Amino acid sequence: MSNKLVRSIVYWLLLSPLVIVILFPFAVMFVTAVRPRDELFTFPPSWFFSEFRWDNFVDMWTKVNFGGALLNSLYVSVAATVLALVFSIPAAYALSRYRFRGKGLYRNFLLMTQMMSPIVLVLGLFRLMVAFGLVNNLNSLVITYAAFNMAFTIWMLQSYFNTIPRELEEAAWMDGATHLRSLIRIFLPLAVPAIAVTAIFIFINSWNEFVLALTMLRNNNDFTLPVQIFSQVAGRYQIEWHHVMAATVLATVPVAIVFSWLQRYLIRGMALGAVK
Amino acid sequence: MASVTITGVEKRFGAVQIIRGVDIDISDGEFVVLVGPSGCGKSTLLRMIAGLESISSGSISIGDRVINTVPPRDRDIAMVFQNYALYPHMSVYENIAFSQKLRNRPQGEIDRKVNEAADILNLRAFLARSPRQLSGGQRQRVAMGRALVRDAKLFLYDEPLSNLDAKLRVSMRTEIKALHQRLQTTSVYVTHDQIEAMTMADRIVVMNAGQVEQVGTPLELYDRPGNLFVADFIGSPSMNFIPGRIARENGAVLLVGQDGTRIAVPAETKASDGQAVVLGIRPEHLSLRDGTDGVAAVVEVVEPTGPNIQVFVQLAGTRVCSILAERHPFVPGQPIRLGASLTQMHLFDEKSGKRI
Amino acid sequence: MKAFRATPLLMIIPSLLLAMFIIGYPIIDLAYTSMQQVSRFGQLRGFNGMANFAEVFSDPLFYASLIRTGIWTVAVVGGTLILSLPIAMILNDEFYGRGMARVIIMLPWALSLTMTAVVWRWALNGRAGLLNASLMGMGISHEPIEWLATAPVAFTTEILIGILVSIPFTTTIFLGGLSSLPQDAYEASMVDGATRWKQFRFLTLPLMRPFINIAIVLNVIYVFNSLPIIWVMTEGGPANGTDILVTYLYKLAFRFGQLGKASAISLIMFGVLFVFIIIYVIMVMRNEDDGGAAGEAAE
Repeated sequence: MSNKLVRSIVYWLLLSPLVIVILFPFAVMFVTAVRPRDELFTFPPSWFFSEFRWDNFVDMWTKVNFGGALLNSLYVSVAATVLALVFSIPAAYALSRYRFRGKGLYRNFLLMTQMMSPIVLVLGLFRLMVAFGLVNNLNSLVITYAAFNMAFTIWMLQSYFNTIPRELEEAAWMDGATHLRSLIRIFLPLAVPAIAVTAIFIFINSWNEFVLALTMLRNNNDFTLPVQIFSQVAGRYQIEWHHVMAATVLATVPVAIVFSWLQRYLIRGMALGAVK
Repeated sequence: MASVTITGVEKRFGAVQIIRGVDIDISDGEFVVLVGPSGCGKSTLLRMIAGLESISSGSISIGDRVINTVPPRDRDIAMVFQNYALYPHMSVYENIAFSQKLRNRPQGEIDRKVNEAADILNLRAFLARSPRQLSGGQRQRVAMGRALVRDAKLFLYDEPLSNLDAKLRVSMRTEIKALHQRLQTTSVYVTHDQIEAMTMADRIVVMNAGQVEQVGTPLELYDRPGNLFVADFIGSPSMNFIPGRIARENGAVLLVGQDGTRIAVPAETKASDGQAVVLGIRPEHLSLRDGTDGVAAVVEVVEPTGPNIQVFVQLAGTRVCSILAERHPFVPGQPIRLGASLTQMHLFDEKSGKRI
Repeated sequence: MKAFRATPLLMIIPSLLLAMFIIGYPIIDLAYTSMQQVSRFGQLRGFNGMANFAEVFSDPLFYASLIRTGIWTVAVVGGTLILSLPIAMILNDEFYGRGMARVIIMLPWALSLTMTAVVWRWALNGRAGLLNASLMGMGISHEPIEWLATAPVAFTTEILIGILVSIPFTTTIFLGGLSSLPQDAYEASMVDGATRWKQFRFLTLPLMRPFINIAIVLNVIYVFNSLPIIWVMTEGGPANGTDILVTYLYKLAFRFGQLGKASAISLIMFGVLFVFIIIYVIMVMRNEDDGGAAGEAAE
């Protein structure tokens, strides 16, 4: 047997307990989501069931108000992403291209806000939103998500912007372009991939956020997906686990696929930026 | 086309002074090369002419117009960057045409100009390609083409050949020079390579530590370097330096080396008796002598280069390099005698480094 | 030239204002609230000095949560680090199916903590959970185990899940570190006759030191503040037996309306967090000292 083959077998054996534990919840999710309701609580508990009940997804959609929560989540995530980008792109450009007084201070400030956790501030944030009448309003989440993602976004964008040679813009100025023109014609087209990748990460962060959504939203119709699904299991006598799992599958799998695909960019951004 | 006048220019980044008062006059149509070791400020000076760096004090004018605060786009300057700075999302054609599009020139005129530039630079076949698909030399040509269509008053080159391999560098050197002879556009060219400077320049500006060491034609710098720095920088292999003191005996002027070796130096020198000086002799100006002629030396290493041999010897207490055309079968430790014509000797004051 | 200099400031000011507003204001508000007397209905009743802090420091539940927070943080971060370095070293090596292995190991990162916790809560269900199904099916246990019914078992389970979801991020940091290690140093050490263990001990470990430090600090910050796993699985129960500071704080604030006390705990946590953030900032700055200025030039 070749060296590499032996090594591969040993490695996979070493990784296998972890791989099983990681895949286990996915299996639980799928198996429960398609199980007939009356086979949820069989004894002894079993992985097996009599038939695939795809209708669970359809029932769940109306019973759990999945569609409404989905729209709320989409609105919050898209708006927060756009808002964070609007604030971050100029700041990242300034960090990447200019020297200015207080730059070091500003970078430290960013690092600090990046690590600041919403949970420690959640009470203060809640009182802030009460003061502005934004409780039970999805926009409270849009603003807070944008603010909490901004540091990461600026950091990530800046490290990508640094890889776009400033000579290109200088060449455009020499060619007769104004600053604005060179930004639009030269810089932005080259920055689009970086901005897109960063945007997807903000989107996923917002999509997955729980604590703030749980706090700011008090009305069932405003719930985002994580809160909506949580509300199906929290403090209930009768939990419709097959619906909960069906909802979890729909809410997580698409995002998980996109995330797995883009994850290497995250590594790269981190390698270039904060964690160097 | 225009002249360029640089007067008392300084550049500071915070407390660090990069350029310490530079004055250079460049006349219309001239090809001037700024040369110096890395960090000497030559690129910064070029970028100040381009408008990419602000000027801390002093002034730069193009023609009669002071351009200190004029933004780069209004200076009417074309520039070739070290890494070419080709727009990666545009084709070769679009790269070259970009400046003309910005000026809203009619399409017909743009086409004509781009094609003209492409013909001069042999780029016709590559116009539709993207810069990614080009070799280093071709990218270099596109960068030149971009400058060419501008009909600018002034061309700036920032080490444009440093990313090319040795062979391509030599041929591009010739092409740039030919182009300049044809267009006669005033050009400022930055390089750290003294051979590039010697071969291309009408006049060379040698810079060191933010200051101008000497300005002159290539042969002036080679024949009469103004100080030790220029003497050392221009010429390859570089000039030999033999430290010693001046002594006058029987009407002859001698340099007494650190080990007591006596070398006759030009009698008309202004150096005073006992003055600590450095004698400079280029390797190619040393020749083999017989009998009592010349100065004793001991062979250390012999390196054949093909056309000639480089002999490293111990002479007057220092290691000295000599280039000899004949293929002598020297062995290490062999005593020989070397000499040079008095007219090819350079004397420098040891303290100030200035030519005496 | 004046206008030129203003450009970068104009570009960063919006982000600065937003961050100050959303992150700065709550801190000030918390400081204010923590020194207020609060009615049962959440109305502020006026200044009462350090009374809220005194109340916090005489609350046995606070100390219990504090100790549990310590255990939670140390156990999750420690467990994560011990597992992640070997995993990263495996994933950094060539083997069949490496791409697949990477995707699988990173999967927990792709799921939100909330969803992960919801699924585990069901998988650990004492009656019909599929973990029990698996264990019984393999003959490891004979009757269903109530995983979440008693605090010690529930808390241990939550720690294990905490480790599971922290592995991807940590492994990612280590992978970045490993790929930056100089390959020629390893070749040189092989020529010098180093064994694999010695390579690990004298090359990998010291060279990975900065990455390990960063991983520790970042994980401490994240884990210390992590609410969803415990909140979704046990809500700090049974009988406050799995409460850590964040869950206790959340209950005080939004279940029991004890705003003053909750603000005081928030501030205490903010203090702890701040210390770690400062450590993190210093570490990043030190790493950046040499390369930071590259790619920047004056306006």
